Amino acid sequence: MNEVISTFIALIPVTLAQSLILSFVVLAIMIPFRILSFPDLTSEGAYPLGGAVCAIAMVSGVPAYLAIPLAVAAGFVAGCATALIHLRFKIHTLLAGILVTTMLYSVNLRILGKPNVPLFKETKLFDYLDLGKGMNNLEKILIVGLLMGVVGFGLRLWFMTERGIAMRAVGDNPDMAEAQGNNVDRAIFLGVGAAGGCAALSGSLMVQSQAFVDVNMGIGLLINALAALMIGETILGRRKISQQLLAPFVGSLIYYQLISFCLAAGLAPSDLKIATGIFVLVMLGAPILKGKRNTTRLAKESIRE
Amino acid sequence: MLRSRPALLDVIASWTDPFLSAPRVADSFPNKWAPEMLNITNLRRTFFAGTADEKVALDGLSLSLGKGEFGVIIGSNGAGKSTLLNAISGALQVDEGTITIADDDVTRMPVHDRARHVARVFQDPMKGTASGMTIAENMLLAELRTSKARLKPGLTRKRLDNYREQLSYLKLGLEDRMDTQVSLLSGGQRQSLSLVMAVIKEPDILLLDEHTAALDPRTANLVLNATLRAVSALKLTTLMVSHNMQHAVDYGNRILMLEAGKVKLDISGAEKEGVSVQSLTNHFAIKSDRMLLGA
Ligand SMILES: Nc1ncnc2c1ncn2[C@@H]1O[C@H](COP(=O)(O)OP(=O)(O)OP(=O)(O)O)[C@@H](O)[C@H]1O
Ligand SMILES: [Mg+2]
Repeated sequence: MNEVISTFIALIPVTLAQSLILSFVVLAIMIPFRILSFPDLTSEGAYPLGGAVCAIAMVSGVPAYLAIPLAVAAGFVAGCATALIHLRFKIHTLLAGILVTTMLYSVNLRILGKPNVPLFKETKLFDYLDLGKGMNNLEKILIVGLLMGVVGFGLRLWFMTERGIAMRAVGDNPDMAEAQGNNVDRAIFLGVGAAGGCAALSGSLMVQSQAFVDVNMGIGLLINALAALMIGETILGRRKISQQLLAPFVGSLIYYQLISFCLAAGLAPSDLKIATGIFVLVMLGAPILKGKRNTTRLAKESIRE
Repeated sequence: MLRSRPALLDVIASWTDPFLSAPRVADSFPNKWAPEMLNITNLRRTFFAGTADEKVALDGLSLSLGKGEFGVIIGSNGAGKSTLLNAISGALQVDEGTITIADDDVTRMPVHDRARHVARVFQDPMKGTASGMTIAENMLLAELRTSKARLKPGLTRKRLDNYREQLSYLKLGLEDRMDTQVSLLSGGQRQSLSLVMAVIKEPDILLLDEHTAALDPRTANLVLNATLRAVSALKLTTLMVSHNMQHAVDYGNRILMLEAGKVKLDISGAEKEGVSVQSLTNHFAIKSDRMLLGA
C-alpha cells in the first residue's frame, strides 16, 4: 500500500500537467453538449488536428506562440464543418462529428506526411519559462494553468454579455431564441467552432509537452473527457453558468488523478477503457434508475436528434 | 426603445386589478384604419404536396389588418389558424403569396429577422420561454427581440431594477424570484411572464395562439384580462386565436372565421357589434351540416 501511495505521489506533477492540458478537451465536449444541446464528437479529430498543425508549423520554423493560434483556427474550422453538416444536411450531430473526425484522420496524415513527427530542437511554449533543472512539470503547470485561467475567465465574461446569454437560449429553446431575434445557426457555428478550437488548443499543447505528434493521439480521448465532465458536474452542480464553466476544469484535474491512482494501484492500462466506460455509464444512468432525472432536461437533450 | 415607463407601468398595473373587468376593446376603436399594419395576399401552403396525404392548409388566404386592430380568429380544428400564425411569424414557409408587416415585405424573411416586427405567445407555456434560464435572463432575451445582441454586459443593475418593477405589477411575486429558473414556475406564471415578455418591446403585431387554453379557468381568465388590457392600452395590432365564441363576440374589433385555409367570414364595425354567439354558431352549424352531407 505504501508503495502505491508513493508511486501515486510521484506521479502527481506529471498527471497535473497532463490534466490541465486535457481540460480544454473536456471544455470542448461541454460547450456543445451542455450549452447548445448539440452533443458533438468533433473533438476526437480536432485534437490531433491541432497537434498536427502546430507541430508542422513549428517544424517549418513558426514560433510556438504563432503555431498555437494556427492550430486553434484549424480546430475552429473543423467544428464549423460539423455544424455545417448538421445544419445544412440535417444529419444527426453525433454522426456529423464522426464524419468530420473520420475525414480529419486523412487530413492529419496529409498534414504530417507520416504517422508521427518528433519535436526535439524546436522551442516549445514551455521553454519560454525557465525555472531551472527538473522543473519541467512545474513550468507546464504554470503556463497551462495561466492559459486555463484566461480562457475560463474569458468564457465567464462572455456568457454574461447579451450575446452569451442569447447563445445559451439557443441551446435551451431554439425556437424561442429564434423568435426573440437570435440567429440560431450563427450561434451554433460559433459555439461548435469554439469547441473545435479548444480541442485543437489542447492538442497543440500536448504535442509540445510530449515533444512529438502522433496521428493516433486522439483515439479514445472522448470517453475520458466525458467521464471528467461527469465528475466535475457531480461535484459542482450545473445550475449556474459559473458552475457549468468550472466543471470541465475541476473534473479533468480529479479524473486524471483517479486514473493515475488506479494505475499506481496496479490496474492494467489496457483495462482502463472499460473501467472508464462503465464509470460514464453509471454516472449517466444512475439518475434515470433513481427516477430523479427531470423529463424536461431529457427532452431538451434529444432536441437535435 | 422601451415605451416610456409610466405608460407601460400603468398598463401592467391595471392588468391584474381585480376590481376592473376586462375592457370591451371594440368600444374604443375608430372606424377608419390607417395606416395598414399587416397585409396578407393569396397565401397558399400545402403539406405533403403530391402525395395521398396532401393537405391544403392555407388556400389563397388574404387578410389585412390596420394599425391597432384586434382580430379574433375562430374556426374548427384543422381550419388553418395555427398555420396562418406560423406563416406570419415565419416559423413556416409559404408556397405562394406575400406577407407585409409595417410596409416591410417579410414573406421570405427568416424568423430571427422578422422577430423585430412580431411577438408571440403560444398555447404551450413551455414554448415561449427558455426554461433552463432564469426569469431575469428571459426578460433580457425579450428585451433584445428588436435589437441585436451585443458584446455588452447583459443583466445590468439598471435592467434588473426595470424588470423587477415591471414584474411586480403582475402581483405574482415574480419580482422576488428573478434568479429562479423558469422551469420551476407554474403554467400560469410562465404564461403571464410570456405575455410581459411579448409586450416589453411593443411589437408591430402580437400573435396569440390559444394562449390561455392550457390553463385552469381562473388562471386563464387572469391571463386573458392581462392580455386585453395590454392590447388596448398599448393599442397593439393583434391576432388572437380562440375556440371560445364568447371571446370573439366580446373582444376585439374583428371576427375572422377561418375554414379550410380561407377567411370564410370577416366581421367588423357595426356588424361586429350586432353579432352573437348564436349567430356565429349558426355559421359553424351550416358548415358541419355540409360536411355531414358531403361525407
Ligand atoms: N407541420 C405540418 N405537417 C403536416 N400537416 C400539417 C402541419 N401543420 C398543420 N398541418 C395540417 O394543416 C391543417 C391546418 O392545421 P392547423 O394547425 O393550422 O389547424 P388549426 O386551425 O390551428 O386547428 P386547431 O384548432 O386544432 O388548433 C391540418 O389539417 C393539419 O393537419
Ligand atoms: Mg391550432
